[in-house]
Amino acid sequence: MSVATAARAREPRSWGPTWYGLLVGGMVVGLVCFVYQWVNGLAVTGLSNTISWGMYIIAFMFLVGVSAGGLIVAAGAELVGSERFASLQRLAVILSGTAILVAAISILPDLGRPQFVWRMIRQPHWTSPLIWDVIIITVYLTIAGIDLYVLTRPEPRPGLLRTVAFVALPTAVLVHSITAWIFGLLVARPFWNTALLAPMFISSALVSGLGLLIVTTFIVQRVTDWEPGRGVYDDLGRLMVWFIAADGFLLFAEILTTYASRVPDHLKQLNVLLVGRLAPVFWAEVAIGVVVPFAICASGLRRRRGWVVAAGALAMVGVFAKRINIVMTSMFMPLVGLAPGIPNGRPGQGFAPDPIYIPTWVEAGILIGLASSFGLLVTLGVRRFVVTGRVPSIRTG
Amino acid sequence: MPEDTKVSPIEALPEAAREYGAIGEVSDEPRWGMAIDTERCIGCWSCAVICKSENDIPLGMWWNRILTKGDDLDTPTVGEFGGLEMSWVPLACQHCDDPPCMKVCPTSATFVDVEHGRLVAVNQEDCIGCRYCMAACPYGVRVFNWGEPEQPAEGFDLGMVEARPVGSVEKCTMCIHRLIEGQVPSCVWSCPAQARIFGDLNDPDGELVRVIEERGGTQLLEEKGTKPKVYYLEPRRRRSL
Repeated sequence: MSVATAARAREPRSWGPTWYGLLVGGMVVGLVCFVYQWVNGLAVTGLSNTISWGMYIIAFMFLVGVSAGGLIVAAGAELVGSERFASLQRLAVILSGTAILVAAISILPDLGRPQFVWRMIRQPHWTSPLIWDVIIITVYLTIAGIDLYVLTRPEPRPGLLRTVAFVALPTAVLVHSITAWIFGLLVARPFWNTALLAPMFISSALVSGLGLLIVTTFIVQRVTDWEPGRGVYDDLGRLMVWFIAADGFLLFAEILTTYASRVPDHLKQLNVLLVGRLAPVFWAEVAIGVVVPFAICASGLRRRRGWVVAAGALAMVGVFAKRINIVMTSMFMPLVGLAPGIPNGRPGQGFAPDPIYIPTWVEAGILIGLASSFGLLVTLGVRRFVVTGRVPSIRTG
Repeated sequence: MPEDTKVSPIEALPEAAREYGAIGEVSDEPRWGMAIDTERCIGCWSCAVICKSENDIPLGMWWNRILTKGDDLDTPTVGEFGGLEMSWVPLACQHCDDPPCMKVCPTSATFVDVEHGRLVAVNQEDCIGCRYCMAACPYGVRVFNWGEPEQPAEGFDLGMVEARPVGSVEKCTMCIHRLIEGQVPSCVWSCPAQARIFGDLNDPDGELVRVIEERGGTQLLEEKGTKPKVYYLEPRRRRSL
């Protein structure tokens, strides 16, 4: 009780209520939009029969991705016996758990009949990657919960922590792989249908997850009196170099293979990215998400906190752009693309030979709601477990 | 099939029309399929329109549509030797024997109906509206009820097919309600050029199998391994306009 009171007293009063107000307001906006969409159907979104997956799926992919960083950093550090990131472990696990929880929620607004989602449990169809994703997300969420519990015991038991880490790491790898296989196993979408998709999802997840960890560490450090271990930014930046290198390499390998082998269907979809309508987003992804953060983290700038934080934020933006590109490239280019195209699906709108997708305010509202839920849960988690808890910090000790 | 169907338009048809639309002899275990003769197809969209009325397909949706080869809907293409050419690909559900949509459906709402000629069917009751099947279908023939289904006019609906709920996916059923009554699908019956041949792929002596073998029928995106039960018959001679 006294600890909690002390924590509250430590916070500057000016930002607290505003921050919570914004987050709760955002959640209300999201909820209202969700109910509005539920009543009127998905007709209120910008989706159509051609582009049948949009912002909700992109948000889902992104959230699953950012959930990687935390658990992998925490578990990886535990497994290799590195104590560098010990001070970040709790924050990392909170970020992971929250991200995967919000990712699971983000699937609901994408469903046309969310009231029947329980049928996935009543009558699961085991050949569907979606069923396996539900299972692995549940397992991952459970492990994040157990991890947080173990980390916040008054008497931490290193052996137990190691065991959890041992289970957590392969689970994290599976979460991203199975999410990738939702897309990667479809013969209908050549751009997704590549064995590299799962490795790419893992590398992108690591980049965006680490980016989120860096940015959140910075924010928590700024607004509370919590201090991460000395040199963590430098260490995280060093890790980022490897993650971005791996992610960039896989992207290059995929594009080179497709471009050089010139399989018509596959090349057609790739050209949407390289020179077509998505080219601006793609080249932004390369510049913002790969080149700039890599340059920062690989150079001497890494030793300056501000630069590392900027690199982390840019890497996240880059990976979000990559998620947009992955979904939209395939959606823009159906395999049978002859005129007049696929019927739009709404009265009076005819066919869509050259489809475009502009998210509506309803989709924006629901995304705001998801982001706000994420922010609120992380804030509460940080207050409960990071700021007030006893943080084992090796280097500052 | 709804219990309380209105008077079936099939029953109301004159005897000759019913005979014209009757399914011929079939094997003990029929595997329903279709051949579309692109040499005969004139791109008139009759089959697409009758499909809409037969199945009460809401405004803005089509289960069956006629694609034009080339770049434009209504412009002929310049052929290899300089002549003008125009041909069509009538496209609806291919009723694959190995359907990608069925494999990814998380609730088995899409299934292979072994009791009805191995057609690919959707049970909208079980559909949660995730649209995974739409992403998985290489042919892009599935449509989603984005909003409340709207009909062009009062009484447009024949009442032969149950309405599909908002938020569920639908597609060609091969007019299963007609097959049950021994009649060929509506698109087959209505084609003014008689470009569609319906039948049982398990009956080696039937007209369907014979014509596919004779004309070397091809399947759309055969390389995707989906094993469609709809075959396309290529023109036997080059037709320049």
